[in-house]
Amino acid sequence: MITLLGKAASRAGRCLWALEEAGIEYEHKPVDYAKGEAKTDSFRAINPNAKIPALTDGNVAMFESLAINLYIAQNYGKGSLWPDDAAGNSACQQWTLFAATELEPPSAARLVEFIFKTEENRSQEALDAAAEKTKAPLDALEATLRDRDYLTGDYFNVADLNVACVAEYLVRTKFALSSWPKVNDWITRCLARPAFAVMLDIKATEMAA
Amino acid sequence: MTIKIYGSLVSRATRNLWMLEELGVDYERIDLDWIKQENRSPDYLKINPAGQVPTLIDGDVTLSESLGINLYLAQKFGGGVLWPDDDAGQARCIQWSVWAAGELEPAVYPRVYEFVFKKAKDRDDALIVKLAERTLPLLDLMEGALSASAYLVGDAFSVADLNVAGVMEYLDRSDFDIAQWPKTVAWYETTYGRAANQKVQGERAPVAEAMLKRIVEHSRSEG
Ligand SMILES: N[C@@H](CCC(=O)N[C@@H](CS)C(=O)NCC(=O)O)C(=O)O
Ligand SMILES: N[C@@H](CCC(=O)N[C@@H](CS)C(=O)NCC(=O)O)C(=O)O
Repeated sequence: MITLLGKAASRAGRCLWALEEAGIEYEHKPVDYAKGEAKTDSFRAINPNAKIPALTDGNVAMFESLAINLYIAQNYGKGSLWPDDAAGNSACQQWTLFAATELEPPSAARLVEFIFKTEENRSQEALDAAAEKTKAPLDALEATLRDRDYLTGDYFNVADLNVACVAEYLVRTKFALSSWPKVNDWITRCLARPAFAVMLDIKATEMAA
Repeated sequence: MTIKIYGSLVSRATRNLWMLEELGVDYERIDLDWIKQENRSPDYLKINPAGQVPTLIDGDVTLSESLGINLYLAQKFGGGVLWPDDDAGQARCIQWSVWAAGELEPAVYPRVYEFVFKKAKDRDDALIVKLAERTLPLLDLMEGALSASAYLVGDAFSVADLNVAGVMEYLDRSDFDIAQWPKTVAWYETTYGRAANQKVQGERAPVAEAMLKRIVEHSRSEG
């Protein structure tokens, strides 16, 4: 059985979303990096990168949230999260790397300002610089979504999930998406999915504990 | 139909050219001159709405993202060689590729900008220190992985090695000394030194030199 390590209020939330989409049984260990739990020897044996999330499944042990999601899609989401055709598969990998290289750096920079700093300590300069860098990737998304509802066609798959779980940082940091109406509609659709709501519930429960 | 790769020899397209040479697959390379904004032409934006290179076209597959293109090529043409046969191996090839893109590239790419495009006196030293701090744990991670096996995914060269080495070249090009990580040094020399890559790098070198001159002139003229 799959075990996902990492508390929901972290990049592990992305993988919980994927697991809930896949609708499979899994075990969740809410390892908390802030308590040093990702730096222990037993955790490092699973993930030498000593960060969350990490996943184990039989003899598979891996890290990198977005790569974990591709793994979940490929192995447990055939025909839904993972398209049946080679062109669709490669598009999912392409969008995953786009999320990692193009969208994540500026989106994560905004999130850091929002969640780790109080309002008065927030650097407007950092927020603006990050906002500037999100424009090109948002333009690329807008152009792609012009003629379709989802990134690779007319249904939601891991390409959407992996880009949306990063773009969600923009939503959370109140970045105005009005200049990208298709992106705005798309992210609204993605975040309205029941599996995303389940992930948010897990997160709320963990945070209340 | 022949595979097409859009991108010059001085761009992230070299990562894909290296892969294509490894696989021995026929391809056609189409240069786009970004100084002339050829990557922003309406025709090009149709195939790559981000207006970046590289883009690959293979029949009805049109793809961007250099490392994603390499995963595609390895899966399609490199089964059992560059793309392992087992689930665990495949998962790790993807893991290392996403790691190279998300963790390694942001730590090392900005160095090239500082070291290759700027004169020594204009360099942002604080940034260079910050980037080096980010890079150390990444190299520790690689050293650990390469202490357990000769390559990143077991004992054979795979797309994981190619994708990571294709990003690590930025350290090489920006005078970052990796001697402290001996396994990584040995791995990098064997990996980056592969004949397929040396062929691409050999073609690139003279073009890069000429290009650098143009870039420097171009950025001066922009002020
Ligand atoms: N690129 C990695 C990043 C993982 C990461 O940075 N995780 C954070 C929590 S969201 C962490 O564990 N940080 C602890 C640390 O860096 O020591 C991924 O997407 O999985
Ligand atoms: N993450 C992308 C980055 C592609 C990229 O930034 N390409 C550069 C050349 S190496 C480019 O096309 N720049 C022109 C632009 O952004 O307008 C990849 O790995 O393919």
